[in-house]
Amino acid sequence: MAARSRTRVLILLAAAITAAVVLIQNLPRPEPAPEELFPTGEMRIAVDASNPPFAVATADDLFGLEIDLGEALADHFGLPARFVNMSFDGLYDSLKADQADLVIAMLTIDPLRTGDVLYTRHYFDAGLVLVSPLERPIQSMRELAGHRLAYEFGSNADTLARRWLRRIHPFETAPYELPSYALDAVRFGHADAALVDAVSARLHLREHQWQAALHYVTNNWYPIAVPIDEVARWQALNRALQILDDNGTLDRIITKWL
Amino acid sequence: MIIAAFLNITLTNFVMNRNSGDITPSGIQYPDKQTRLFRLVAADVTIAGMIAADSWLRTSLIRHWRWYLRLGIAWFVISQLGAIGPRAPLGPQQVVNTQHPIVCVHTRLIDEVWEWKIQRTLQLVREMGADTIVEFFPWAYIESTQDYYDWEPADRIIRHAENQGLKVIARMGLVPGWARPRDSTLNYLPENAFDELAAFVADFAARYAGVVDHIIIWNEPNLAFEWGYRPIDPAAYARLLEAVYAPAHAANPDVVILAAGLAPTLEPEGSPNGLNDILYLEQLYQAGGGNFFDALAVHTYGFTEPPEAEPAFDRLNFRRAELLHEIMTHYEAGDKPVFITETGWNDHPRWTKAVRPAQRIQYTLDAFRYVEANWPWLEKLCLWAFRYPAPTYSYPDNFEIVTSDFQIRPIYYAIQDYALHREGNTDLWLPAPEPAS
Repeated sequence: MAARSRTRVLILLAAAITAAVVLIQNLPRPEPAPEELFPTGEMRIAVDASNPPFAVATADDLFGLEIDLGEALADHFGLPARFVNMSFDGLYDSLKADQADLVIAMLTIDPLRTGDVLYTRHYFDAGLVLVSPLERPIQSMRELAGHRLAYEFGSNADTLARRWLRRIHPFETAPYELPSYALDAVRFGHADAALVDAVSARLHLREHQWQAALHYVTNNWYPIAVPIDEVARWQALNRALQILDDNGTLDRIITKWL
Repeated sequence: MIIAAFLNITLTNFVMNRNSGDITPSGIQYPDKQTRLFRLVAADVTIAGMIAADSWLRTSLIRHWRWYLRLGIAWFVISQLGAIGPRAPLGPQQVVNTQHPIVCVHTRLIDEVWEWKIQRTLQLVREMGADTIVEFFPWAYIESTQDYYDWEPADRIIRHAENQGLKVIARMGLVPGWARPRDSTLNYLPENAFDELAAFVADFAARYAGVVDHIIIWNEPNLAFEWGYRPIDPAAYARLLEAVYAPAHAANPDVVILAAGLAPTLEPEGSPNGLNDILYLEQLYQAGGGNFFDALAVHTYGFTEPPEAEPAFDRLNFRRAELLHEIMTHYEAGDKPVFITETGWNDHPRWTKAVRPAQRIQYTLDAFRYVEANWPWLEKLCLWAFRYPAPTYSYPDNFEIVTSDFQIRPIYYAIQDYALHREGNTDLWLPAPEPAS
């Protein structure tokens, strides 16, 4: 009898210790101070200012969607932003050489780099979209059968359209010289849908005040990169991006430029 | 003992035959002697191990024959599963069919993991109508240990190129750790290692004579990055060419030594980043480098301008190659040929130095037509780049003709139609749409 009650006590004790450990693990921890995350006292952001409308350089200034995003993130942490402009070749090395704290430069997750950097959640998806009239929306490859698809000749959309032609019932193809022509073909009723990248689509819709159905068919997510050993910085940036998304700041920045 | 001998013969055959024995039409035999010697030693070690295990096996086999039977079945099944994996045996000897032998591409095969991808890439090159590739053969990969050569990474490229009927222009570079100071970059070639590189180039030239008769010495030495982050030094590069020239010709009398393609850049004298390619070539000639190369490699990119755009000293465009050729004709008779080993346009949708995909195709085809009509001194126009082993996930991917995962981009078909003289009169794209009336 005594042995049984001792066993019961031991089981209860083990359960209590386990519960305590789980509880402690999941207790909200205070976020490190910005100065701990960015030891230089400023947020050093590597950008490639040769990609409008994401980042562009003039003689003495930088502007674009990614510049605004960098400033919004720096504001969130209460630090000044310092942008380090460089070509694509130097972006990842700038983290390794401690020339920058993070990279915001139309990066796509590169599996070969995941041993060196951590990627945050994405701030934009530049994948291919199907653009069609609101009253006759086409949302996927399957729905294209028997319709006419416009796209830019030689582009990734062209490559994808050629692949689709081998996979689904025939549809008519309408290659154009520019993505804006492919979108005009839908707007003017010469095609049922256009397959273009999301940036071209958003710019065209905005320029022509055109309400159209827009559905992603591929994804090209742009995340932020930080050095792999800066886990706290990575977590803090993820939280900051989530907050900017939730409070509408990210959407306002995207809408400003696209 | 009989079982041990049987297993030994099986294992020895397995070790000896795996990946060996490809003899190509030029007589190049793979693999090399060192690899064969290594395999023989491995087989002998196997024999010794088997004899030692023999007495134990004899008693054990009788007691546990059921387990040995199961192991045997498992070994057979696993070996058969292994055979399903992708392999790249050489097929029938191919010949390139092209009406425009000026068409050439720069490949990126040395970092390719799978041999079948090398083979598939080269098949696509041949089917596109290019009869020559430019490929990088890093010294650091092949002679990572001094005087020990691992030719396999180069062999597998050369044997498949030869099998596809392709000629190879080889680019040399990247210094192994033993030949340069500690903490220096792979592009740092100290002057006291010039002869070491020359010996490697001579070995390379002798080994692949007949398939590789064009060798480029170094890459873009007018950039600080490519010169080991040292001050730009055309005279030092001239001495490098001098060190390589005689040993390479002694090893293969037919070899054509090409001076490195220079990076198209406007960097002024004294810049820490590099030196204007026009100035660099001039200084290379003034340092006597012209005596130690048989042809000039040129890098010229169109960026956002069409191929016919006028060249200028302070402007980067396709016809900048003419300015480099003018320097050649100024310093010598001008009968040395030129190989453009990197050229092309980029069609990234956002990069400021890119054009639209349709423009890229048009400019590329126009460039082929232009050089055939106007540049008799040009031997090959090699497009950068046919395919990368892995995507960069940025604008460099938009130089590709075929993607890393073998998606064939429309420019491939346009070049193929040009090379095979199949160009029709049909328009490639529709006219700009008009509002419906």
